Amino acid sequence: MKKLQKSAAMAVAMLSVGGLIAGCGTNQATTPTPTTTSSSQTHTINFANASGTIVWAAPPITHTGLRNALIAAFEKKYPKIKVQLQSQSNNTDTNRASLSTAIGGGSSTPDVYMGDVIWPAQFAHAQLALPLNTVLPASFWSRFSKGLVQGATYKGNVYAAPFFADSGFLYYRKDLLEKAHLPVPTTWAQLKQEAQELQKKGLVQYGFVWQGASYEGLTCDFQEYLADAGGSVLNAQGQPTIDSPQALKALDFMRSLITSGVSPTAEDTFQESESMNVFDQGKAAFLRNWTYAWANSQNPSDSQVVGKVGVTVLPSFNGGAGYSTIGGWDLYVNPHSKNLPADLAFINWMTGKQAQTILAVQFTELPTNAAVASSPEVQNVSPVFKLVNKMHFISRPDQTPNYPQISQALYTNVNAALSGTISPKKALKNAQQQMQQAVGSGGGL
Amino acid sequence: MNAILQEQQGGKRRSQLGKSDRRAGYLMLFPALLIIGAITIFPILYSMYMSFNHVTLTENGFQLQFNAGKNYDILIHSSVYWHSVEFTVMYAVVTVVVELVLGLLIALAVNNVQRLKNLSLVVMLIPWALITVISAQMWDYIYNGVYGILNYLLQSMHLIQSPVTWLGTSTSAIIAMMVADIWKTTPFVVIILLGGLQMIPEEYYEAAYMDGANRWQSFWKVTLPLLRGSIALAGLFRILQAFGVFDLPFVLTGGGPGDATQSLAILGYEILFQNLQFGRGSAIAVSTVLLVLFVCLVFLSAFRSLVKGEDA
Repeated sequence: MKKLQKSAAMAVAMLSVGGLIAGCGTNQATTPTPTTTSSSQTHTINFANASGTIVWAAPPITHTGLRNALIAAFEKKYPKIKVQLQSQSNNTDTNRASLSTAIGGGSSTPDVYMGDVIWPAQFAHAQLALPLNTVLPASFWSRFSKGLVQGATYKGNVYAAPFFADSGFLYYRKDLLEKAHLPVPTTWAQLKQEAQELQKKGLVQYGFVWQGASYEGLTCDFQEYLADAGGSVLNAQGQPTIDSPQALKALDFMRSLITSGVSPTAEDTFQESESMNVFDQGKAAFLRNWTYAWANSQNPSDSQVVGKVGVTVLPSFNGGAGYSTIGGWDLYVNPHSKNLPADLAFINWMTGKQAQTILAVQFTELPTNAAVASSPEVQNVSPVFKLVNKMHFISRPDQTPNYPQISQALYTNVNAALSGTISPKKALKNAQQQMQQAVGSGGGL
Repeated sequence: MNAILQEQQGGKRRSQLGKSDRRAGYLMLFPALLIIGAITIFPILYSMYMSFNHVTLTENGFQLQFNAGKNYDILIHSSVYWHSVEFTVMYAVVTVVVELVLGLLIALAVNNVQRLKNLSLVVMLIPWALITVISAQMWDYIYNGVYGILNYLLQSMHLIQSPVTWLGTSTSAIIAMMVADIWKTTPFVVIILLGGLQMIPEEYYEAAYMDGANRWQSFWKVTLPLLRGSIALAGLFRILQAFGVFDLPFVLTGGGPGDATQSLAILGYEILFQNLQFGRGSAIAVSTVLLVLFVCLVFLSAFRSLVKGEDA
């Protein structure tokens, strides 16, 4: 018995150390497979008669069956092509890690993947995406709303097809504002003050919830205040300009939301879902979130505030519409894919009228197809869609392959300031320094 | 007393195998060694090689360009890197020490229990058997600043007035993470030490008792010296794992707030798989291995002199 226990303990110990050693070998020693694509010349591929099976990697998007609905409709239209869904992480960074490992290691699947709009430069630089303009006719790109294709372009090549767009909105509790006879806020100061008033009256626990955790989403939120205050992350020459009075104004205000109690102290741990949960449980008066938050707030199984929610453009420091960060998702093709015609047929259909209408009407995502976006049928689906013309958009400084480092420097330091670990001033100084290392010759850490 | 100890230590006799037997043994080991070599030694060597190169990812795989020690040079001059070294060392030291002390106490207690020994072992093993990602998610719910159970309990006991964001400020996030780690891996230490305790024959304690030693003395003179092998083993495993801590901060804090809980493994992951800087990420991995080796050596030599001192 004693002997058995000892050997069991040893076995267990050996197992754990084996796992550790395996875990230590962080780098894959995979041999890359040669590919058949040549990236510089253009030779348009005819995909009308494509057939076979392809794998589509995508995160769950809305949690409401969007991906399978699209696949079913596509397979009905193209019976010769089967699409296998490979579910990815909802966390955009985890998603990127798994895709870059698989494709960087030479895997031929997934064939098509849904990727963040901020990836083109980095993925093009690392050759993780096929330049689509080399295999699709020029006429393909005219279907998209203005500016979107530009966002997927790096050094003259288009690396992705815009799939759906997204942006930041202000969601508010109509019922609470009416009860307290308050107008919908148009400035940040007004939002803060109204939130405090609602909290003081005991109508709601928290005033305003948003995304303050240490991750890409914080870069999006911060940038909205920053652009509104007149600042920028990088200047036109690509040099960091984050240690500025404008940035300090933005960060000071964000921190004051927490110190004043308008935002919960847990705000610096909130990603999209946490903030949306608090709002949908009726615990907050205002929410900054993306397009899909509308559908979630109107879904009785998730939300206790169905019918009590209004949505408008984000406020600004001086009144009028503030800035909203451009987000959204693109469709990329794996350069190692073995069935390019089927990939392109899929992308062509997914950005075409039928799929984009399904996206917009059934799942309230902002379509990238201009004709669909402007059709009255779609415009009436969600109040969010009607706001688009009134909004000021700001995109992230993602035209450099070093964007991940720039963003990390920003969100870790801003998050540290939000948590009160360091002062806003010090945070911006640190961010500036780390960004300088990132854009410098060394590429930073 | 001493004679008994010596006899026990001298009990390890070399097995007397013939030459041909030994050759057959090596032959049979060969396939296993080959596989281990392919899946562990090669990647480790390859990481080392990569750490001295500028690595770019291309359609045809990695392209390596020798750049001498530039990756290491950048690490040495990076405050972010040193911060995560500091955090990782501090985290490892605190958790390993607490786990060893706590593990020893529990092992001694369990060893003295007669009736419910197996049951208590099973109960204790649950935290250790749970996949870390899942238990970390559970702790995340416990610590949650809005609906966390910990805040609820403390508030209903009137120990705090308003909810505390345990994972939202650096000190509390670090402590919260350590608690989760200690909860999870102390049972591992207990199991190893319990194995060691059960190897100590009852006669030694009887002999010590006959010599007039009290319980305290027999703990110091019999238990601890005979347990040192198990303690060293448990300590080493825990050090190795603590230096590679990834899943806990990944789920609980994402390295935040700021970079307060950014362990070397998290930093390496970000550099490798977010920034796709494979050379630099490999340099972090290699430097971590060297650091762990160094700490293990320090631990072993410190431990040896410490226990020897008690033994004399």
